[in-house]
Amino acid sequence: MLKEGMDLIDAHFKNEGVSRRDAMKMFGAGGAAMLMGSGVATEATAGSSAVKAKILIIGGGLAGMSTAALFTNSLDNPDITVLEPGSSATSYQPGQTLVGAGIWDADAVEYKTDDFVPSGVTLIKEKAVEFDPENNTVKTSGGKTLKYDYMVIAAGLKLDYARIQGLGIEGTITSRGDDSAVRKVIGKNGITSIYFGNGATDTWTEMQKFIADAKSGKKVKGIFTHPNTPIKCGGAPKKIMYLTDARLREAGARDNAELTFYPNGSKMFGVKEYHDAIVNQFEARDMKWNYRHNLIGVDPVKKVATFNRHWKEKGPWDADLEEYSIVMKAETVEKEFDFLHITPPMKAAEEIANSPVGSAKGWVPVKKETLQHVKYPNVYALGDIAAVPMGKTGGSARKQYKVVAENIISMMNGKEPTAQYGGYTVCPLITSIGTVMLAEFDWSKKPTPSFPLDPTQERWIWWLLKVYALKPMTQYGMLSGRA
Amino acid sequence: MVCSLVEHKRREDKGERMKKTSIVLLSAVALFALNGCGDAPKSSSEAKTYAKTAGEVYTQSCYKCHGDKAQGLTEKKTPPMNDRQAGELELDLYDVKNEGLTMSSGTEHDKMAHNMKKLLEKGYDYDPKAMAVYIEKNFYKMPPKEAPAAH
Repeated sequence: MLKEGMDLIDAHFKNEGVSRRDAMKMFGAGGAAMLMGSGVATEATAGSSAVKAKILIIGGGLAGMSTAALFTNSLDNPDITVLEPGSSATSYQPGQTLVGAGIWDADAVEYKTDDFVPSGVTLIKEKAVEFDPENNTVKTSGGKTLKYDYMVIAAGLKLDYARIQGLGIEGTITSRGDDSAVRKVIGKNGITSIYFGNGATDTWTEMQKFIADAKSGKKVKGIFTHPNTPIKCGGAPKKIMYLTDARLREAGARDNAELTFYPNGSKMFGVKEYHDAIVNQFEARDMKWNYRHNLIGVDPVKKVATFNRHWKEKGPWDADLEEYSIVMKAETVEKEFDFLHITPPMKAAEEIANSPVGSAKGWVPVKKETLQHVKYPNVYALGDIAAVPMGKTGGSARKQYKVVAENIISMMNGKEPTAQYGGYTVCPLITSIGTVMLAEFDWSKKPTPSFPLDPTQERWIWWLLKVYALKPMTQYGMLSGRA
Repeated sequence: MVCSLVEHKRREDKGERMKKTSIVLLSAVALFALNGCGDAPKSSSEAKTYAKTAGEVYTQSCYKCHGDKAQGLTEKKTPPMNDRQAGELELDLYDVKNEGLTMSSGTEHDKMAHNMKKLLEKGYDYDPKAMAVYIEKNFYKMPPKEAPAAH
């Protein structure tokens, strides 16, 4: 599998007349093997690591498995158990956008959990169903009671399509695993969603029909939604729209399609510089948008999407505030579509949300810098389930897993957990086939570019980074605890 | 080092552009992977200073609508803030001050986000973390333990 990543990169260089040998000469390293970051940051840097402790990791996706790998690299006597029921939890989710637009095949993002279990780590293919953090125990779906010294919660999140009425969906699904409850209706009749594996595959099938209709001369409408909950990869709802636009242009059929983005919120991006850049990109492509619309229902037969449209109006004078108050208004609006891309509401798994380690909103409440639980000092959380602003991306997890491992190793050595996550996250925003805006930012809400290039520009090299480099970096660098 | 290479390569002639892009890409990847010279800077919010302490802001402004114990006032339709610990509360305050936590999801505090803007203009700015800690320290009430089962 490593070879596959290397071949991709090498093929790319070959196209451009650079041999791997030249690349090796230039960098004194072996071509794409640089991506492995070999010899760099292979250990957490928290002093002596000979102390023994039982570490339980809930969830073996990108966040959980990378943490397990880093512990394995850093500890002399690792005692690590990962609870993960999914057989392809380590799949490369950021690639689902590319699958949805027919740029990658589905098997390019499918990775088996078993292939990424670090040596020496015990994988139990069950899920955690009961948490007793007072007694440091967790009960599993198979009836086991597991005791831990430290627990890391990296359980990801649930896709809550059931909240959208009219689809006949009950219960939640995850991005991988059994999706039958959702796939019976999403992925058909122009209704799509790239947020689960098969959904991405079906999106491309439906998108091709949409484009064929436009090409045949029919006037068609595409609708792209963004819900009122925190979501993983906040850029994906827009990326799939940009790619639909690109595919329509490629087919010479763009003029026959109207594309509209309906987000619940009232901006394109939390960082002003990126917001402005996106607005310009939308305008340049004649992509429309309509803020403050939350998708609440879909009629799959009539092909009508129902939104809760909400807005603010001036209310009575508030003497305490010394301002006019505002009142919220809302109405239900219906929009016809030929192609609908749904970004579903998302939430934490009930068994975690409702447990002592959960919170009213479900996400596991942690101190956002150290990622330590607000109530239980030997419990940490990272990835999609952690209650930190913004960061439900692989890019955030890439910074977070090192913080978690380092802090737990510090505590094992009787020290304070001092490693801090600064809120960094990254969104390689695909703006067409061949361009990406690499939006990096943190809690300061300012662009934090890693490269000396204007971060608000769409660039071909970031497309190459997204399409060729980030996957091997993630699958072989991060999941082995190295990058 | 790698950063300067990127700059240098940009100045090369266009005929070599494809080749150079590869080099830039490799440099970029190396930087990304190795957390090199351009690593994300520390959050600049740390450097921000505030005219008033969290306590001053609370006792001069917030209490009017949220109550002197952060208990929430029915007549103002304000929610309690004394039922959560700082780590949890901070997320809500962050949401209020930034009108949302993720890109285009919007905020669940539309009204307060609007009011907050007005209050910021009046000088009641605060660090969400400091405010969350202040509220927890002074007002936090542990949720009642579950009542013992009736016989």
